[in-house]
Amino acid sequence: MLEIDGLRKRYGDKTALDGVGFAVRPGEMFGFVGANGAGKTTTMRIVMGVLDADSGEVRLDGRPVTYDDRRAFGYMPEERGLYQKMKVAEQVEYFGRLHGLAPAAARSAAAALLERLGLADRRGDAVEALSLGNQQRVQLAVALVHDPAVLILDEPFSGLDPLAVDALVEVLKDRAAAGVPVIFSSHQLDLVERLCDSVGIISAGRMVACGPVGELREREGRGVLQVVVRGAAPGWADGLPGELTREGDRDVLLCEEGDDQAILRTAIEAGKVEHFGRRQPTLAEIFREAVA
Amino acid sequence: MNGLWLVAQREIRTRVRTKSFLVSLAVSAILVAALASLPKILGGDDTYDVGVVGAAPAPVAQLAYQQYPDEAAARKAVIDGDVDAALIDGDRVLANGELDQRLGLILEAAHRDAQIKAAGVTITPLRVESVGADARYERVRAGLATLLVMVLFFLLIYSAMYVAMGVVEEKGSRIVEILLTAVRPWQLLGGKIAGLGALGLINLAVIIVVGLAVSSATGFVADLPPGMGGIIVGAVVWFVLGYAFFSALAAAFGSLVSRQEELNSVLTPMTTLMMLTYVTAYFAAVEPTGTVARVLSLVPPFSSMVMPVRTAAADVPLGEILIAGVLMVAAVIAVLLGAARVYRRAVLRTGARVRLGEVVR
Repeated sequence: MLEIDGLRKRYGDKTALDGVGFAVRPGEMFGFVGANGAGKTTTMRIVMGVLDADSGEVRLDGRPVTYDDRRAFGYMPEERGLYQKMKVAEQVEYFGRLHGLAPAAARSAAAALLERLGLADRRGDAVEALSLGNQQRVQLAVALVHDPAVLILDEPFSGLDPLAVDALVEVLKDRAAAGVPVIFSSHQLDLVERLCDSVGIISAGRMVACGPVGELREREGRGVLQVVVRGAAPGWADGLPGELTREGDRDVLLCEEGDDQAILRTAIEAGKVEHFGRRQPTLAEIFREAVA
Repeated sequence: MNGLWLVAQREIRTRVRTKSFLVSLAVSAILVAALASLPKILGGDDTYDVGVVGAAPAPVAQLAYQQYPDEAAARKAVIDGDVDAALIDGDRVLANGELDQRLGLILEAAHRDAQIKAAGVTITPLRVESVGADARYERVRAGLATLLVMVLFFLLIYSAMYVAMGVVEEKGSRIVEILLTAVRPWQLLGGKIAGLGALGLINLAVIIVVGLAVSSATGFVADLPPGMGGIIVGAVVWFVLGYAFFSALAAAFGSLVSRQEELNSVLTPMTTLMMLTYVTAYFAAVEPTGTVARVLSLVPPFSSMVMPVRTAAADVPLGEILIAGVLMVAAVIAVLLGAARVYRRAVLRTGARVRLGEVVR
């Protein structure tokens, strides 16, 4: 289990992180979302040891993460970087070697990964000759070549075409299924919602919400009650809380509070109830509310 | 250590494959070959061709005899410039205009020797004893030292620049952020310095081998002073020390900026120091026994160029070489530690140029 606990970081008089903490279990896919400048990248860089926190701790399986632990992590930084003049396969292999793979293992891992990411026919090309999307795939291969024990990916989906997104999703699911904790940040909230077991929302250096997506929906959105009634007389909902909108003979009542059973009885008496239920907020709605 | 070795390997492999490396290697080999054959070309032949009519005189080292059937043929050869002079029947010399003074003295001495010998008298030649320093090789040694100044300077500045450019490449492309999650900063920095240094050594080796090969092919090697082996070993050792010093500086300054365009300005303190070293080494080649040369050959980093130049140009007491060596090694260690510190703190701070003051504290 990867635990991030009470991270604080200041740059001069600007507070970047103010007690950020969350935990990711083995095999869990954790989506890290937040506005630009909220502290996602700073947190990830601290987890990777690229940056030192002022205080707080990163733990793996209960003990503080060491340099040797981190060598087994896979990292994709927000600022992409590759040797432009180096050949694709050679580059992926080189990083495998740096992470401690034997020469033959690095070679076969690089070949297999490039095959999977659809870059097998570009293996002998210099990175600079590739399109940005393909460079992004090479970047991903660099993060994955040593079969990492933990994956930290900063905006891995930005700049990818839908096919590449699918390929990446498959790879990430695969890694998570193998028991690897996966953390990735993204602004594509629908993707995070679809993919992640848990979500953490950061705002201005603080975690404002964190947990399984389903739980967050209930906790954050608290499920707005939505009632649709047809053919009711005007003024039927005067005594009820919430907001009423009328379209022809169709009334839509949205309630955030109140006794739902009492509301239902009133609605049935007033007209034909077409819909009655709690509306699940989307992650985007939860996000907007949480950072507001 | 493994990380350092991998980084060094990559540097060597990447650089060796580039055209610019091969071109620079070829250019330096050609330049040195040209310089090594220069004495032969400029000095020309130091033997005289002498035509002979009649009995051949006793052989003399500086003279090459050529037999002619009669005086008319010898006269024609002198006028045509085929020979420098002609000796007729052992008692007359034909010259084209005035006889070359040195040739005249040699012929005169040979003529006298032959007559004395014929008279049955033996004479003992004067013995010459030198009471000053051995000055025989002074000119050759000065030339050698000047050549060494240029070679060391270009190799040092060229190798150090590549270290700085490599550091900026990795910082500017942000690849350093991934690299540093797999290797430690000192491994990355050390591997780069070691790898590019090995290439500098290869270049130096090519220069030495080509220089010696051409020298021995032209016969110039006979004029080289004794102790050439020591001079060469010294040059290599001092190159390694100087390179370690300047490349560490280059890496530290390079890590402050994120773009190659900013490199020149940020490297100014280092290039200035190198230029100063070059100038003092040049003066040391001209005046190897002067006070400036003697003092600065002990002070790092000047010693890295001044000392090898001084030892090439003149004899230097072993004690002074040892003092210079110890001081330079200490300076190299200090600079490497300082550079590693600056590098570690500055290389992840991309964007605007990092102030040196912010990272040395």
